[in-house]
Amino acid sequence: MTRGSGPRARAPRCNQNSGTQVTDTPMTTLETERTLLARLRAWYSAEDANPTKRVQFDRPLTPWLFVLPQLAVVAIFFYWPSVQAVTSSFYIEDPFGFGSTFVGMENYGDAVTSSQYRDTALFTAFFCVVVTALSLGLGLLLAVKADKVIRGTETYKTLLISVYAIAPPVAGLMGMMFFDMHMGPIKDLFALFGHDLRVGIDYWDTAIALITISVWKQIPYNFIFFLSGLQSVPVPVREAALIDARSGWRRFRDVILPLLAPTAFFLLIINITYTMFDTFPIIDVIVKDKPANNPMTLVYKVYLDGFKGNDIGGSSAQSVILMVVVAALTVLQFRFLERRVHYG
Amino acid sequence: MQKLATATVAFALTASTAMAATDITWWHGMGGRNGEVINEISQKFNDAQDTCKLTPVSKGTYEEALSSAIAAFRSGEQPNILQVFDAGAATIIAAEGATIPAEDLIRNAGEEFNRDDFISGVRGFYADADGKFIGMPFNSSAPIMYYNVAAFEKAGVEPPKTWEEFETVAPKLKEAGYLPLTASQLTWMMVENFKSRNNQQFATNNNGYDAIDGTEIIVNDENQVMMFEKLKAWADDGLFGFYGAGWSDNLKPFEEGESAMWIGSSGSFGGLQQSADFEFSADFMPYWDSIEGAGTQSFIGGAALFAMAGKSDEENACSAQFFSFLTSPEIQVYWHKNTGYVPVTEAAYEMAKSEGYYDEKPVAEVGIKQLQLESGEWTRGYRMGFYPQIRTVMEREFNRIFSDEVSVQDAFDTIQEEGNQLLARFAKTSS
Amino acid sequence: MQKIKPLDHLVLILGVLFLCVPVVMALMSSTHYPVDIHSNGLFLTPGDNGLATYTKVLTDRGGFTGDVTGLRMLMNSLIMGVGFAVGKIVLSMMAAYALVYFRFRFATILFWMIFTTLLLPLEVRIMPSYQVMSTLGLLNTYTGLIVPLLASATGTFFFRQFFKSVPDELLEAARIDGAGPWKFFIDVLVPLSKTMMAAIFIIMFIYGWNQYLWPLLMTTDEHFYTLMRGIKSILQVWVGSQIPDYNEAFALAVLAMLPPVAVVVIFQRMFIKGLTESDK
Repeated sequence: MTRGSGPRARAPRCNQNSGTQVTDTPMTTLETERTLLARLRAWYSAEDANPTKRVQFDRPLTPWLFVLPQLAVVAIFFYWPSVQAVTSSFYIEDPFGFGSTFVGMENYGDAVTSSQYRDTALFTAFFCVVVTALSLGLGLLLAVKADKVIRGTETYKTLLISVYAIAPPVAGLMGMMFFDMHMGPIKDLFALFGHDLRVGIDYWDTAIALITISVWKQIPYNFIFFLSGLQSVPVPVREAALIDARSGWRRFRDVILPLLAPTAFFLLIINITYTMFDTFPIIDVIVKDKPANNPMTLVYKVYLDGFKGNDIGGSSAQSVILMVVVAALTVLQFRFLERRVHYG
Repeated sequence: MQKLATATVAFALTASTAMAATDITWWHGMGGRNGEVINEISQKFNDAQDTCKLTPVSKGTYEEALSSAIAAFRSGEQPNILQVFDAGAATIIAAEGATIPAEDLIRNAGEEFNRDDFISGVRGFYADADGKFIGMPFNSSAPIMYYNVAAFEKAGVEPPKTWEEFETVAPKLKEAGYLPLTASQLTWMMVENFKSRNNQQFATNNNGYDAIDGTEIIVNDENQVMMFEKLKAWADDGLFGFYGAGWSDNLKPFEEGESAMWIGSSGSFGGLQQSADFEFSADFMPYWDSIEGAGTQSFIGGAALFAMAGKSDEENACSAQFFSFLTSPEIQVYWHKNTGYVPVTEAAYEMAKSEGYYDEKPVAEVGIKQLQLESGEWTRGYRMGFYPQIRTVMEREFNRIFSDEVSVQDAFDTIQEEGNQLLARFAKTSS
Repeated sequence: MQKIKPLDHLVLILGVLFLCVPVVMALMSSTHYPVDIHSNGLFLTPGDNGLATYTKVLTDRGGFTGDVTGLRMLMNSLIMGVGFAVGKIVLSMMAAYALVYFRFRFATILFWMIFTTLLLPLEVRIMPSYQVMSTLGLLNTYTGLIVPLLASATGTFFFRQFFKSVPDELLEAARIDGAGPWKFFIDVLVPLSKTMMAAIFIIMFIYGWNQYLWPLLMTTDEHFYTLMRGIKSILQVWVGSQIPDYNEAFALAVLAMLPPVAVVVIFQRMFIKGLTESDK
């Protein structure tokens, strides 16, 4: 992306004779092979295909020591429970564990054949795109501006970040009061434009409320990371850029944005998972725990069926479907998008 | 070394149980002032005797409390007593072996138990087909109709007893400048309690009491559909306001003095006293004079206490002792006055009455009186699994009815169909 | 260096307004009476009930045991916040270091094993997680409260992104100086990551600080009450039987904002330092 105009000249390649400690990552030749197995291998070794360190340590044991704590936590607290969730998805079971019927794929069938479920899936996709785009865009805009100004910069930063600290139940309560169909100020705002905002009754009015509150909650998160990304851009680079590119927009596009790409890629994936998974408390508050025919996301449905309705099998099947879909999405992003991300 | 430690711990444990009182725990789903009253009652119980020590634990909302208990039960960490809300009752009652029926618990502990002590509307809901109490009714409420006294004076009419009377009164209230009616939670008011107040069958298999297998919901019948066709017509004529599924959104117009009547819970009057700055009163929820046998009592809402299985005899004896303590008139009246829930026993009702509580607050009596009305074949309750999800389906369809997306008949056909699918799924949980 | 246009300030001010007006309203509303909030909604001007509200919130001894004070809830929330943030930074920096700076067998598989944990929040697998904790005997412990939340790859992912953008010359230079993997990690990478650590600390601290459902499920002892449970409990009122003490909930929320904001202010200095250090 920035190969020619990159801020730093790329260091000369290290050669094989650099000792036992450090070796090159071998060039991958798999891409030329055509067998299914090879393509599969190429796929799961995606990490190696991506731009990575040209120099790495080559020790058999040390990396395991570093990765072991995380691995242990993940295995015990993620994979163990997840395996149980997958098992449950093939049963319809009494929540207290007294009876259960093996139903094979029925839970999956029930979920995907319901038109309600498909509508929810469509809304989730729409919601995901809108919230991610808005919160990333606004977060970036504010971070760039906050990075630029000198006077009052600390005040802006503190104010913008501190919003993230407001307790979720209270944030939800405030969102609810802002959009209240009887006394909410935002209802009055819409009334000025001749629109009667009826959150909780009208599908798209509720969607507006959900999107606004979700974006509001997420902007500070993106702001923090974009800002820390911007502030790690070395001053000499900025000064060089200032000379190279006169127009602020071109400077931003050609110099700053590529340097932010690793952060942006991280935030893109995090924001998608945020909208998919972490917005259900907002939905719960706005629909006052009665979704009726208001829009909801797939995770809210899992929460509704599993946690509120105690349908363990059905909700497990829905979580497994979600996991597979999001896993596929993430892999795709790593495979296709990360190639365009240039690391240092 | 480790063995020694374990032995010491074991010894310490047995020693402490031998010497101190038996510990029991109670998980509940109440917050705010009600949560505080639960703490006060528990303290009263601990002060009243010294063989048992009860610790109440707040477990969030009703749903969170039930889910916590389910997770805990599967790991053997369940509490002695669990509070379960009305719509979740089928889940815990269907899981035979998860609980000890309240009646057995109390009798096994050598204490007395008499079903007739309870207010008639309270007896059936948490009992089995034979009337045996599985859960102990605790916090109970009934849907009643609140009305704005000034509105009725201005319109020169009387509060309606039946929906027929409502149809004659409502246009006059409208003329007087009021929205005649709003109602919160239509599932509870206009389906469940429509069934109960008009003595209508709600599900096959004796409203679901006789068996789980083959139970089907009955909602697309002529009368139920008529109720909603009326509501829709009233809404179109400006006689009824629909503000979605949220409880408070439908209450607000009444609090603001815009609507003349609001159907809500008997327990809501505490809040209304604070938020409504006009004189209000309450009466029974209306029924249809045209339906034969209508005018019967309503179902109770709220929650009951269940004694969970897998506990020692000593602990169960303590739970039984607590259940008896809880139904004593003094505690019931204390609970009634402090939370707005109705008392569950006749004795407690009489005591509150003799203390002059209802002369002071006549609205507090309406719910109890409605629960004491004549019972009918279909008024003791309903038992349907995955009922919270069925309610969700209803709420979805109701919003569609009032936004003109579907006809009332189509909406109830959908509820019937999806409800039965859910019930069939539930039947598979227990086999 | 760059020219600053008034437009930049305008954008920032609009952003601050959009984000902060609700917070100001929470603060103002906490000084009003619950019934007024119930009937009129949020306030933009101060009321006269502030002192009483904050006194009550800070000194009231709640709960069955009477031990649930504002201070205890604050302490528990702090333990959750700091424990989670520190645990997360340590675990994820180490794991990211291994994945980026080492060439070893199964690295790809490990990478995906860790990164799939981005996909399923705790809430969705909460029931089986409870059973696992009970099996391990970790119910009603701080370990049980904090460690399961660490099973998510956000931090690892973030540090991986950062490490990948660290210039290769650093490792080459360190190698010439004869530094091994441990020395390189401690002496070069950790100091270099300060800005990133500050950012992730803020986010993770607030994440741990704001936990509700997991502590609710995991603990039966009032001594583990957090601020979040205090707030939820106030707001949880059944069908209008009372008017919730909105003012107290807002007051708790305002108090609950102070420590995270303090964290932000403290780490802001690190932001700046991070900047000047990379100048050298």
